[in-house]
Amino acid sequence: MIELKNVTKIYPSKAGDTLALEDVTLTVPDGSAYGVIGLSGAGKSTLVRCINLLEKPTRGQVLLDGEDVGAAKKKRLRELRRSIGMIFQSFNLLEQRTAAANVRFPLELVKTPREEAKRRVEELLALVGLSEKADAYPSQLSGGQKQRVAIARALATSPKYLLCDEATSALDPATTESILQLLKRINRELGVTLVVITHEMKVVERVCTHVAVLGQSRVAEEGRVEDVFSFPQSEIAKRLILPEALRSAAGEGGPKLRLVFHGETGNEPVVAGLARTCGVEANILFADTRLIDGKSFGQMVVGLPCDEAQIAAAKRYLTAHNVVFKEEF
Amino acid sequence: MDALLVSRLFTQLIETNAFPLAVWETIYLTFASAAVAYLIGLPLGVVLAVTGRGGLKPVLWLNKAVGIVVNIFRSIPFIILMVALIPVSRALLGTSIGNGAMIFMLVVAAAPYVARMVESSLKEVDAGVVEAARSMGASTLQIVWKVYLPEAKPSLLVGAVISTVTILGYSAMAGTIAAGGLGALAVTQARPSNAQDVIWLCVLLIVVIVQIIQELGMYLAARTDKRVRVKGRKNKAKETK
Repeated sequence: MIELKNVTKIYPSKAGDTLALEDVTLTVPDGSAYGVIGLSGAGKSTLVRCINLLEKPTRGQVLLDGEDVGAAKKKRLRELRRSIGMIFQSFNLLEQRTAAANVRFPLELVKTPREEAKRRVEELLALVGLSEKADAYPSQLSGGQKQRVAIARALATSPKYLLCDEATSALDPATTESILQLLKRINRELGVTLVVITHEMKVVERVCTHVAVLGQSRVAEEGRVEDVFSFPQSEIAKRLILPEALRSAAGEGGPKLRLVFHGETGNEPVVAGLARTCGVEANILFADTRLIDGKSFGQMVVGLPCDEAQIAAAKRYLTAHNVVFKEEF
Repeated sequence: MDALLVSRLFTQLIETNAFPLAVWETIYLTFASAAVAYLIGLPLGVVLAVTGRGGLKPVLWLNKAVGIVVNIFRSIPFIILMVALIPVSRALLGTSIGNGAMIFMLVVAAAPYVARMVESSLKEVDAGVVEAARSMGASTLQIVWKVYLPEAKPSLLVGAVISTVTILGYSAMAGTIAAGGLGALAVTQARPSNAQDVIWLCVLLIVVIVQIIQELGMYLAARTDKRVRVKGRKNKAKETK
């Protein structure tokens, strides 16, 4: 379990202090895939670096399974870091080493016997599907392959946690998808707890079980992905989750309802039902379906006529049919 | 041989096999000095790169101290440094003339130069790679040995070529303290007897030596660099499409 308690990070400079994180408190449960989403400059990268103390928090505590990382002595800190793998947007492979030698690198640091290291490297390259590229240098690999090598390297010391700092941001959509699937498998099958830093909602939807939305150095909201997705509370979360075109049209036209479907409610013909049962002609303004953590989630925004009685009837119908809705706009 | 075309000194030198000896002495002075200069300059360069602001382990006072010493030695023209080092050489080596003293002086002049070359090579290493190594729990020493030096190897080799050629240039002043080599031959023997042909042959030989060092060094640097393989370039080109 990773716990951040009131973590604040300030970068002092002559031009004035920069507040990167302000009073951030969150808990990453073991086995979860914890997303941290926010726009650029929100402090995501600083947050993830506070976990393995690549950045030292100005105030506050970081607890790793209850142990205060900030209080760890040098040697202990290095041990702790070995239990936390990390991958990066720019892969950060050693350019003068082959793929296999890159994966071997963390094993060399702890002086793993040659034969054992060799076996482990083969195992890891097989896990990420790159066995045949063992002797290739990074300059001979594509972006996706480089990230796979980086993942294998991060897993070499069998860490309990894997920090992913914008790991797919430099990749094309198809490659992103395959890397996300690999991360999901590592989470599910190896039981490695993921902390996924990203600015893309899609990444959170595909991989994460939990999410923290970071807005201007603070945690705007936090929770299970499906809850945050269904009922975004904060301005920043709404901005990331709700369709842009509708937000900009907020307040225009008549009243609008945002309906959220999960699982079984996804099959109800709600709009037809509204018209048939209550005589309310709902206008579909937006609809999409997303796959969140393997389950399908739908959202629909409907415009209603400006009639109090009809709106009330529509709401009664929706409630009766277990459709979650909210007046978002 | 015709005395009008070839000076007497030239004939003499050919007969005594002086040219091969001078070539050998130049090479020996240069490489021995370069080797010892790296023994001192490489660690100094690492210290400069690691302890600097934004370095792996900032120790600003140490960085400043080493930096100032390096700058002082680098700002003294070699010919003056040589003269100034005569009593030091006598005290340390028991002599201030000959090849041994020359190597000592070349090392003193070149080590600070080497330190700066090494520092700049190490600073080229991608900060992200260093951060990745830190995230894996590498110690400062491990990062120096396993990240900085191997990752900077091609650049360090290029630096070594430049340093060696610079030292070779300095070594031409060896004649001043009765050491040997092509420079000494040209300045102390050919110049006084106005044997232009000897001077030009010395120049030619030095040019050839420099060319060989340069080409060989660059070939080695290119061969060790795993980033610039032709195949790698092709991949890069594909990616950007």
